Amino acid sequence: MRRMLNLIQNENMKIFRRLSTYIMLGLLIIIVVAAGVISKNTAQQASINTDWKTQLTQDNTTMQKSLTDMQTIPGIDLEQSRAAVEKNIKTNNYRIEHNLPPVQGKIVWGFVTNMVSTISIVSLFVIIIAAGIVAGEFNSGTIKLLLIRPLKRWKVLLSKYLAVLLFALDSLILLFVASFLVGGILYGWSGVGQPYLGYTNGNVTEINMLGHIFTTYAYACVNLLMMVTFAFMISTVFRSNSLAVGISLFLMYTGTILVTLLSKYSWVKYILFANTDLTVYTNGLPVAKGMTMTFSLLVLAVYFILFNAISWAVFTKRDVAA
Amino acid sequence: MQTKPVAQFKNIKKKIGKKMIIDDISFEVNAGEIFGFLGPNGAGKTTTIRMLFGLISMTEGEILVNGFSIKHDFEKAIVRVGGIIENPEMYKYLTGYKNLVHYARMYGDITKERIDEVISLVGLEQRIKDKVKTYSLGMRQRLGLAQALLHKPNLIVLDEPTNGLDPAGIHEFRKHLRMLAEKENVAIMVSSHQLSEMELMCDRIGIIQNGKLIDIQTVNDFLDKDEVVMRVTFTVDDVPKAKTCLNQMFQEQETLENESTISITIDSSKIPDIVAAFVREGIRISGLDKESKTLEQKFLDITGGSGIA
Repeated sequence: MRRMLNLIQNENMKIFRRLSTYIMLGLLIIIVVAAGVISKNTAQQASINTDWKTQLTQDNTTMQKSLTDMQTIPGIDLEQSRAAVEKNIKTNNYRIEHNLPPVQGKIVWGFVTNMVSTISIVSLFVIIIAAGIVAGEFNSGTIKLLLIRPLKRWKVLLSKYLAVLLFALDSLILLFVASFLVGGILYGWSGVGQPYLGYTNGNVTEINMLGHIFTTYAYACVNLLMMVTFAFMISTVFRSNSLAVGISLFLMYTGTILVTLLSKYSWVKYILFANTDLTVYTNGLPVAKGMTMTFSLLVLAVYFILFNAISWAVFTKRDVAA
Repeated sequence: MQTKPVAQFKNIKKKIGKKMIIDDISFEVNAGEIFGFLGPNGAGKTTTIRMLFGLISMTEGEILVNGFSIKHDFEKAIVRVGGIIENPEMYKYLTGYKNLVHYARMYGDITKERIDEVISLVGLEQRIKDKVKTYSLGMRQRLGLAQALLHKPNLIVLDEPTNGLDPAGIHEFRKHLRMLAEKENVAIMVSSHQLSEMELMCDRIGIIQNGKLIDIQTVNDFLDKDEVVMRVTFTVDDVPKAKTCLNQMFQEQETLENESTISITIDSSKIPDIVAAFVREGIRISGLDKESKTLEQKFLDITGGSGIA
């Protein structure tokens, strides 16, 4: 156990003693600051009508109207659309009653929530680390002196995988802290205590904002975890850094398009990318009919085990001849 | 001296596709000896060494280190083995020191003092805090040796160890290996295709060719066997007189003369007689050179002349 921690410490050292790692983390901070500055400037122009209560009341009137006008359109579930509009109306009313301004963009939490989309940048960086962590040892020849130590190969591999996940965690914490600080500096800290408004069974409920943001992060991390595990596998199997980065990024950015293109086939639901967005089960539509949260979790688990099993099998059996 | 086998290679075979890369090799490396593993490039030296380190699997056979199987009990078998496989490739973006810390952590019981001790042993104190990418090949070799010694192994395996070392470095390196073998009873296995080097360094030499171990001999046997007949060259002041003298003594042997030297191939036991005869004839001898067959010639003899595969 202690030597496992030592191994992870080693991998950490190899990640954080490189300039490229700091360039990536620096870029992440720059992106957050830039996004903050840009959104602050555009938000100021858009919010000339600073009275959000009037705005929300107006919105509700339009929505009420649309609710009565709503007609059956083929292919769209009327009940579902109706429920979505009702949710918005009730939430707006709750905001007006309890004096809770909408979160979007104008307070610190709004910015933090918007910045969740930056997790795709984090994914990119973590994929780069995952792609290099095994392939890099083979490319530089250091794999030989690494594997002649009194540690079975699977332990070395596990330490590398855990170090990648640890790096992902570090990056996510950095993203959260950076967006919280930038959001706070730009929009002030006054909204820090504000709750998030959830909606269950037709009732608006107050949820702890931090808890809500962690949930959002967790959902966004499903895709990150799967793509990083995939990159790690390619890195281990093909011992090529660039191949692992290339294939993983290609799939990450084309995966959803692929699913859309193939959506007429029933087997599309078994594709990894049809299952990585779990938020569709709370608000949205799953890719194919009959898909449930349990189904997606099961599919994800199968892919996760498969990727890791392939990495494990190849790494522990391979002859190191190069 | 103790001659307990530290490494035992038992009928190891490696087949890749249909080709037998290593064909039934068996030998032992004992505590306190330096075993030379000699063979042309591509003969299977590196493959055999990689099998010992568990980097390459064996098709058949078994390698035991300190009684533990590399195949079945890897962690116990490898824990007292140190070595360099081909070039000592280190993490170039880390300092020499961090590289050593990295390997030390993988054993779990190596103190800071031990790391410092090894650094001074290989003479890298001045540069150890510099990044490895600034090191010369010789310095990388030294760092490679440092990581091999870190955990006080009782078996050290070095694949082509003197690549990139300057002559002074090689000399020092040899002295150091000899010290480890003699004082600390460490078993050392060195592979090389440089025969002259093996001659100077090793106690026993195993010759490998086309995946087969064709001979194991002690270095002394290697050089002395059949070594009674040799070419002897005398440097004398009067070559014609010496020629007459030699022709009288060995009528059937050709002599070869130079301006100031004369050579003859004879039984080495006859040398004192020749010297006595020259002195009697008033020929002044200013030099005597015995030319024994070198290991290289021996090697070519054994391998049937097909040195490089």
